[in-house]
Amino acid sequence: MTEKITVALAGNPNVGKTSIFNAITGSKQHVGNWPGVTVERKMGKRKHKDVEMQVVDLPGTYSLTAYSLDEIIARDFIIEEKPDIVVQVIDATNLERNLYLTTQLMELGTRLIIALNMTDLALAKGDSIDVQKMQEFLEVPVISTIGSRGGGIEELLDSVTKEIHRTRTSENIFVYGVEIEKSAEELENVLAEDPYFSHYPSRWFSMKLLEGDENIIKKAEESENYPQIRKILQRTDADSFEAKIADQRYKTIQTMLRQVCNINTDRLSGSDMVDRVVTNKYLGIPIFLSLMWAAFEITFTFATPFMNIIDIFFGWLAETAAGVITVSWLASLVGDGMIAGVGSVLIFLPNILLLFFMISLMEDSGYMSRAAFIMDKVMSKIGLHGKSFIPLIMGFGCNVPAIMATRTIEDSRDRLITILITPFMSCGARLPVYVLLAGAFFGRDAGIVIFGLYALGIFVALISAKLMRSTIVKGEDTPFIMELPSYKIPTLKGSILHMWERGKIYLKKAGGIILIGVVGVWILASIPAPGSGGTFASEEIYGTTDSMIGFIGQIIEPLVAPLGFDWKIAVALLFGVVAKEIVVGSMGVLYGVGDNEDSLSEILAAGAMTPLAGLGLMVFTLLYVPCFACIGVIKRETGSWKWTAFQLFYGTGLAWIFAFVLYQVGSRMGLFA
Amino acid sequence: MEQHYGKTEITFAALAGLLYTISGIYHIAEGIGIDIGIYEGMARSLFISGDILGGFCLVVTGAVFLYGFKEMMQGINAGVSFLYVGILMSLVFMMIYLLIMGGNLLDSFIVPEDYEGWSIMETFRPGIYLGILSIAGLLYWRDRFSLHEVLALREGA
Repeated sequence: MTEKITVALAGNPNVGKTSIFNAITGSKQHVGNWPGVTVERKMGKRKHKDVEMQVVDLPGTYSLTAYSLDEIIARDFIIEEKPDIVVQVIDATNLERNLYLTTQLMELGTRLIIALNMTDLALAKGDSIDVQKMQEFLEVPVISTIGSRGGGIEELLDSVTKEIHRTRTSENIFVYGVEIEKSAEELENVLAEDPYFSHYPSRWFSMKLLEGDENIIKKAEESENYPQIRKILQRTDADSFEAKIADQRYKTIQTMLRQVCNINTDRLSGSDMVDRVVTNKYLGIPIFLSLMWAAFEITFTFATPFMNIIDIFFGWLAETAAGVITVSWLASLVGDGMIAGVGSVLIFLPNILLLFFMISLMEDSGYMSRAAFIMDKVMSKIGLHGKSFIPLIMGFGCNVPAIMATRTIEDSRDRLITILITPFMSCGARLPVYVLLAGAFFGRDAGIVIFGLYALGIFVALISAKLMRSTIVKGEDTPFIMELPSYKIPTLKGSILHMWERGKIYLKKAGGIILIGVVGVWILASIPAPGSGGTFASEEIYGTTDSMIGFIGQIIEPLVAPLGFDWKIAVALLFGVVAKEIVVGSMGVLYGVGDNEDSLSEILAAGAMTPLAGLGLMVFTLLYVPCFACIGVIKRETGSWKWTAFQLFYGTGLAWIFAFVLYQVGSRMGLFA
Repeated sequence: MEQHYGKTEITFAALAGLLYTISGIYHIAEGIGIDIGIYEGMARSLFISGDILGGFCLVVTGAVFLYGFKEMMQGINAGVSFLYVGILMSLVFMMIYLLIMGGNLLDSFIVPEDYEGWSIMETFRPGIYLGILSIAGLLYWRDRFSLHEVLALREGA
């Protein structure tokens, strides 16, 4: 008979939980070489020897005293949902810190198995670990694994199936000294009297209360016996107890480690040597900037021939469609609407893929964490810390997962500010607008212009954070502690997979929301405006001021006219709120690329727009209201319509001011004339 | 304590550092229009362009080598890290410039009308020929380029 069990994968951040999860379940969840890749729990299934396992990959946590939202998710799952087995994934190159969580899991009374991961790296570092002895000390199974290559997974699953039926012969109890033990005993007696606490192990719960765990105290406040608990806690000093408890746990760990492993601390590894350079206080930021420049230069320059191939393909497709379809409005819908609109967006697929490939290399190598580390000094000047920089860099790919990545930030005010400034980081969807306009107006300097826009995004984000920190979201600075993972040489397969994971979202959007958007724009461009008297999709009406879209565009044109934009741009920006790629798609439809031999960039460069207005449009697109998906995630993560509305108005206001100043001052100075 | 570098490492770091830094400064000067006394013909034959950010990258690479040179001269064992990372950085930039050249060449076959009178050497940059020096370095110290191997003694060990 098949038995069903739940197995939770827990552990510190960036120890390879998701690699092991993927190896067990066959899923392809995103794996990255920096702490905080998994911010939500993920489920998968695996059947092994008549045992059907529901495997849950939990976000990383350093201890069961949860501080950040992702840590609370992990902790609550283990405590509230009580999985049958907890597999704690441990980084073999960093045993001491990882075993701290082990002591807490043991205290919780969970059925625990340790997956000693990255043992290959520990060996290469010169460390030696006696797994058998470690198992004897901890009295839990310890299995050596190499998650990235699937090593030890079968042994781990065997161990899970054995452990589920093993009769437990001992309980792991750590003793913390007379004073703490006395208070713990008193608390345990109170907890035992109230059935409300029967769900939790009383020893563990009382230790958490003594440590001053806010989350646990909140749970205790709901009990009728809370006055008694409070009375006991008032006699104790939570800070001092927490330090003593942690100290005792570390002493136990060190005692064990001295006997089970030999850690090589005398030498510098290759990772240490690279870190010595890339985190150097003088060279760190220049190196970061030069690598970013290289990424953008490749994104723009190397993609050009592939863009031209796609452009030629869509030109041929539009021509073929025009030749085959005889019904004029249908030919216009297919040629001017679908092919011109979607083609205008898909032409940038090579740029998007290359950008994502570069971001994947940064993530997979472990450089992402270093970028956060070196930016900490800059970030601390604006009242945030380096940890906030990781979501910001992730925002270069897509703002939605970047905003979710803020869950790793402990301080709620730091997290709120990071959420509010992340949309200023230029996501991949905005890249088509830059490539189109920079290519049209700035020729071989396009790469520099695009790099400048990304830098402007970072600058605006940092200044905004400083402004918010000193006005509406005041708070104290919090200390920055971040683990720098070992460098790994990214594999081509891994980086291409990560690039594809993100790139296919772009393709799906092109075939879905963007197609719907451009068809919507085509319909509005074909319907005669009220009182114009023309016929649907006729040449006199299509895309002119006599069409419905022209009517709408003219209403909103006064708002953007001071920025040098005409009604077509106004409409494109309006539709761009749905998805940023639609800005380019709409321009493709409205400037009539479908039946025109010239590409959209040639049409624009030929006088449809001035270079200064083009630059203003890039800046406006960078800063104005983010897309629907991003607005949704801001609302979900802040839990507030007020802050969501604030971001939208603040961003759009800034976009307008920047584009206005650029256009008005630039025009008077004769810039790019 | 055993020293993990010799005259070869020090000389390489100094030479590469100077070449990259000077080349980068010329790029930047050309880009912002400052005359620093280099003959136009020489600039052309050295493929110096007015690429300011490209010049910045060369200066940064040069600075990494020179920092390593400074530390090694001070007897700091781990200073050799800057030499190895400098070599890796210069190879990254060499690859970037080669990809850009390759991209332009491919594009010239796809849309030849946009490339009339164009020569591939227009996209040749000092980052490419300077990178040859780093290839030599990579081959010479190839057993040191592993992330997980233990490479040098920590100071004071």
